[in-house]
Amino acid sequence: MKAASALHRLLRRNISAAQLTGYALANLVGLALVAIAVQFHSDVNSVMEAEDSFTSRDYIVISRKVSGLGSLTGGRTSFSPADIADIEAQPWVRRTGSFTASGFNVAATVDVGSQGMSTALFLESIPTEFFDRVPQGWDYTPGSGKPVPVIVSKDYLTLYNFGFASSRNMPRVSESMIGMLPIRLSLSGAGRQQWVDARIAGFSSRLNTIAVPESFMEWANSTFADNGAPDPTRLIIEVNSPGNPAIEKYLDSHGYEAAGDNATSRRASYFLSVVTATVLAVGSVICILAFAILTLSIFLLLQKNSEKIRSLMMLGYTPRAVASTYFTLVGAINAAVLAGSVGLMLLASRLWRGPLADMGIGSASPSVAIAIAAAIAVGITLLNFAAITRIIRKRFPQPHKTKQTH
Amino acid sequence: MIDSITLDNVLPRAFAGMENDDPVKSSEVWLKRISFSRPGFYMVEAESGAGKSSMCSFIYGSRGDYSGDILFDGRSVRQIGTDEWCRLRQRAIAYLPQELMLFPELTVIDNIEIKNRLTRHKSERWILETLAALGIEKKAAVPAGQLSVGQQQRVAIVRTLCQPFNFLLLDEPVSHLDERNNAAVASIIEAEARENHAAVIATSVGNKIKLPFTTTVCL
Repeated sequence: MKAASALHRLLRRNISAAQLTGYALANLVGLALVAIAVQFHSDVNSVMEAEDSFTSRDYIVISRKVSGLGSLTGGRTSFSPADIADIEAQPWVRRTGSFTASGFNVAATVDVGSQGMSTALFLESIPTEFFDRVPQGWDYTPGSGKPVPVIVSKDYLTLYNFGFASSRNMPRVSESMIGMLPIRLSLSGAGRQQWVDARIAGFSSRLNTIAVPESFMEWANSTFADNGAPDPTRLIIEVNSPGNPAIEKYLDSHGYEAAGDNATSRRASYFLSVVTATVLAVGSVICILAFAILTLSIFLLLQKNSEKIRSLMMLGYTPRAVASTYFTLVGAINAAVLAGSVGLMLLASRLWRGPLADMGIGSASPSVAIAIAAAIAVGITLLNFAAITRIIRKRFPQPHKTKQTH
Repeated sequence: MIDSITLDNVLPRAFAGMENDDPVKSSEVWLKRISFSRPGFYMVEAESGAGKSSMCSFIYGSRGDYSGDILFDGRSVRQIGTDEWCRLRQRAIAYLPQELMLFPELTVIDNIEIKNRLTRHKSERWILETLAALGIEKKAAVPAGQLSVGQQQRVAIVRTLCQPFNFLLLDEPVSHLDERNNAAVASIIEAEARENHAAVIATSVGNKIKLPFTTTVCL
């Protein structure tokens, strides 16, 4: 034990506390910035995602602007295949999908207690692949007798609860209640009529429509529509950077508008992602510089101790045994830096978690931010281990290390 | 385990081109084939600058700036890898370099323990008794850098013996010791060498260690 500590004492001579402290502080700042940026990003994202569980905010729904007379005088409201092709050619578009409208009459009947309600409705379908999470049983087989799953815009429920129901003394309904209500749809057109059962599969704040599965729409349009499915009037677009100003410019110049528009929120999210990326980049650069400081400091230390290192290996110490002293040193510093940066991140996240909690939004787990910070710290540590091993092995006294002449 | 060390046509690079001049021409080692086998006591005599320390370094594997080959039991040392060199330096070849290679900032006992910890060969009692036999037991807790060269030489000898060995290389082991200490060192080394059934190869420029040499070689 005594000799072991003598070994450490020997090899740790010439350590520059100032250099290592400088490194530790620099890397602490860099790593903390990276962790904070990642945590901020995932917390803010969890807010955005919390809005809608079916589709992510990477989707926007667009339609043509309805202008004063245009619609009355027969101005086009639908998207032609050429329009769609042009949209798909935009760099911010990942893919597009069409809303298929119903070309037949729909009426829905709901029994609320003893009161029955009936209303004319419309239905639309969007391609299933645009759902982030496909609702359970999102399918329909004609003649199976199973109810048609329907997704309803949250706005409709709000309109009913706070506009209609309160003015008519009707009962208010919650999302879970309405899911249990028996709904019957009357489909008619092309000289045919049929009743089908329906059930609410969920509510969406981003899809402001009444959505049914594509399979149901295909069957219903082919059965009840006089002219088959009409041209799509709305498109769903998956974009690669929501909030990108180019999207808005394009929509404006073509007379389109984004449905249920939350351009402000999209712009805010775009801005936040730019800020996050900047902080992340600054943090990463600081980490890289800190790594350079550590590497230089270790090089210098090994250089100053090179005679001692060689003498130890002359006594029979393996390069591994000599290196392990420095491994412990670098490992301990980096573990402390990692712990410190995670602590700073958790502390900093309180700044924005309070307001988020007030909005009733839980924040994301810090595990991703911690994992990324740990990965960087481990990466720096391993690279340093490799450098230390290489330098020490070079000093190993061994005949074939020197050039031989014959 | 090594039973024999052979120098085959070895010439230090520093002597390249001087093959027909002294000290190479009259040497019994350079450009010759010479074997050391154990047990045995070998004295390598030379004048200063003839390459004694180089020869020890070549055998110990810490330098490779020579032509020709050195063989351990017929196998070239250039084929020995890092791990095996470490094992050999812990178990088979002990080396007292002329420059001693003590760590001046460590105490006498730490200097010795840093080797003994690696080999776990000697007891603390043996170490203290040996220090006492060499008259430096009171220096155990003193940093090696504060000792006289003669005292340092004795510390380095004790440290060299803290391992099992087949060959013991002593590069001018008593150059700074008086008659009495020479005799004390010699008797300890002889006992250790016999216990290990080892060969001792000692060099000297004049002041010889008092061992029962069986062979004397002129470098």
